[in-house]
Amino acid sequence: MLRAATAVAGAAVTAPLAGCGLFDRDDPERPDPLDPLLDSTVRLVGRYDAAIAAQPELAERLTPLRDAHQAHAKALAQLIGRPASRLSPSPAPAGSSPPGGDAAATLAELRIAEKTARDEATAACLAAPADRTALLGSIVAARATHQEVLR
Amino acid sequence: MTDQQDLLAAEHAAIFAYGVIGAHLTGAAAAAARNAEAAHRALRDALVLRLSSGGGTPTPTDPVYALPFPVTDQASALRLAIEVEEKTGAVWRSALASTSGKERETTLAALVDCAVRATRFRRTAGITPATVTFPGRPE
Repeated sequence: MLRAATAVAGAAVTAPLAGCGLFDRDDPERPDPLDPLLDSTVRLVGRYDAAIAAQPELAERLTPLRDAHQAHAKALAQLIGRPASRLSPSPAPAGSSPPGGDAAATLAELRIAEKTARDEATAACLAAPADRTALLGSIVAARATHQEVLR
Repeated sequence: MTDQQDLLAAEHAAIFAYGVIGAHLTGAAAAAARNAEAAHRALRDALVLRLSSGGGTPTPTDPVYALPFPVTDQASALRLAIEVEEKTGAVWRSALASTSGKERETTLAALVDCAVRATRFRRTAGITPATVTFPGRPE
């Protein structure tokens, strides 16, 4: 009787704790402060894909930047334990980089996107624990150099 | 772990290198090298101040540094400028982990500035792509 009561109490205590994330360190769905940065990085890859598809003449210039964002997304996913399925960009939303738009406008749009992305990564780096600062610092610096070459 | 003296040593070396680099550049490239040197002097001065006010003794610069290759013309001068910015950026990047608050902001800004200068010098040198995937990360 006593034993049964303990078992029930034990179960009742364990369940909410697991839900709180105290004991589910390996749960792939446990939210991480870098999840939003990973998602926006993947979206950025999608924006570059759309821009390259719309303006193939920019491909040589934009592909290294697109590939850098893809590599950043991969490194972030690895750091926070997310599966590779999180790395596939969804199709670009309608209205972004319409085919036939002019190259200068596309570059200007991407430059603004890089500025926003750099600010987001900067905030993440400043708030991060020590062991994440090097990767985040490189991502911030890369985005700053992207703004530079989109000029 | 990277400490302030490592950062200071890197900045001393960068300033020495720009003395050599500047002598082989003209026009816009020379102006860019002067601006880069001024930026590294500012970083050095801030480090010296921080070390001194913390009760430490800033290590002085060496009179001469061995360059990784001979600098004889504009192309080799630009190559050295790129290497200086890459190496210095790497030291600032590795210092990030031991920082917090305002110091992390200035350390990150130093890494970013080194990366941007490296990219500008790559463009001047006609190197494509002018960007690297993970600025400051050891290859």
